[in-house]
Amino acid sequence: MIRRAVLVVLGLIWLGPTYLLIVNASRPAESYDPARAWAPPGDFALLDNFARALEGADLGPSLASTALYSVVSPALGVLIGALAGYTIVVLRLRHGFWWFLLLFGGTVFPSQMLLVPLFVGYSDAGLYDSRLGMILIYTAINVPLAAFVLRNFYSGVAFSIFEAARMDGASTWRVFWRIYLPLATSALAAVFILEFTFIWNDLIFGLTLTQTAEVRPVMTALAGLMTDVYAGTPVPVGLAAGLVVSLPTVVLFLATQRLFARGLSLGSV
Amino acid sequence: MTRAPILGRFRHGYVAPAALLVAGLLYAPFVWTAYLSLTRYDGLAPPEWAGLANFAKLFDDPVLLSSAGNTLIWVVGTMALPVGLGLLVAVLSYDIRGGAWYRVPFMLPYALSGAGLAMVWSPVLSHGGVANLLLGVDTAFLQKAPHNTIAMLLVWTWQQLGVNTLLFVVGLQSIPKGPIEAARLDGASGWRLFRHVIWPLMRPLTAVVVGLALVASLKTFDIVWVLTQGGPGRNSETLAVTMYKETFVAGDYGYGSTVAVALTVVAGLASYLYLKRQVR
Repeated sequence: MIRRAVLVVLGLIWLGPTYLLIVNASRPAESYDPARAWAPPGDFALLDNFARALEGADLGPSLASTALYSVVSPALGVLIGALAGYTIVVLRLRHGFWWFLLLFGGTVFPSQMLLVPLFVGYSDAGLYDSRLGMILIYTAINVPLAAFVLRNFYSGVAFSIFEAARMDGASTWRVFWRIYLPLATSALAAVFILEFTFIWNDLIFGLTLTQTAEVRPVMTALAGLMTDVYAGTPVPVGLAAGLVVSLPTVVLFLATQRLFARGLSLGSV
Repeated sequence: MTRAPILGRFRHGYVAPAALLVAGLLYAPFVWTAYLSLTRYDGLAPPEWAGLANFAKLFDDPVLLSSAGNTLIWVVGTMALPVGLGLLVAVLSYDIRGGAWYRVPFMLPYALSGAGLAMVWSPVLSHGGVANLLLGVDTAFLQKAPHNTIAMLLVWTWQQLGVNTLLFVVGLQSIPKGPIEAARLDGASGWRLFRHVIWPLMRPLTAVVVGLALVASLKTFDIVWVLTQGGPGRNSETLAVTMYKETFVAGDYGYGSTVAVALTVVAGLASYLYLKRQVR
């Protein structure tokens, strides 16, 4: 009984801000008043508010860029990581374990250690504030995890599959592309989702390596909206932007929850 | 003699993309930052060797002292609130009927992230905002140190509690029922059952959750950046924010790199000491 009571009280505290968020994001932009923040909104204006954020803060191009980064980079990263895992485990690359350590070691660097050289290097190479530059760094960050999970996954696949395909005359690339890649769909999907979420929510690389609205990822653009304009942006517009921009990761996660759980457990075998 | 053909000849070509990306965009910048931490560098003129001068500055920089202090608040606070309270919610709810429903309120905020989180809380915490009106006080919660760090920590708790709870619940549900039943038969219940039976059994999972939270809290950046940008002045900066500001706001790339190295050393040392304790 006490347990339930504690849970209910804590839960109500947690629901308070959630309620505030939803109610005020749906409120017509001009009718926000901190003193009446708890009152239900008269009209439902969430979509209007979001449309205003898209226009006013120029979130449209940022959203498009972020969508591009969070799909292309994990896809490339997963492919490249899977190929490395395949080469190390199935093709028995010499010193494979060291190659693996080299790749996986890439996860230990805090992003703060990368920022200055990336900024300077990107500026020199003309990659600063370019979509290509963003895709490159996001892809590189994905590779270690992909290589790790896929290496584990391929360790559990019978070598006879590979041998049989080779006997039939398939090239090593074809074996990878037609057999090993499709075989690992759930592991690939799990890594993809993790990386999609990471990139979608990334703030610091966007902050450091981009400048213009076309290239700048949406979280960075939103942070800009916060600091520069929130004084002038009606609160409901800001809230609606924060809410809608968070949706894709939630939807993706809910839609793929089962695949996700399966993929991770396979990867950790 | 027959092995080589079946395994193909192009193997290094297949690891090359992965190796090049990781070496070029992760390892090389890492090494370069380590070098820059020993130089005077403004990003324009070539870096000038400065030996340990930047590291000496590190130790009597009042800003660094305050951001180290704030980072410590973040680390300790993260252990106590999102992790500790998360454990409490998990333990209270994991074996009661409808437990999952009791956890829904804690999971909802997890959907928001980074800047979205700040969007929500900024109007609540601002001067004359909802929190002022609700509590009947007239404080700008994000102004004075250390209140602002603590306020942000509470926001962070609101967002992160759910995911920690979820991890702990998974752990609690996967521990074997046998020992718990046996202890119950022997008359153990409540706190004693938890302390002496359940807690030791869930330790491997706790170790992972705490370890991840430890490293993540040392690198706290996003929430501070979007809510206060480390201000007002510089009083809510964490080490990661100081690193960013020294580099990209003040233009002192050399010293910024030094702060990055210091942060890396601290995070590495903390994980090492923590892992060592866990393994023992």
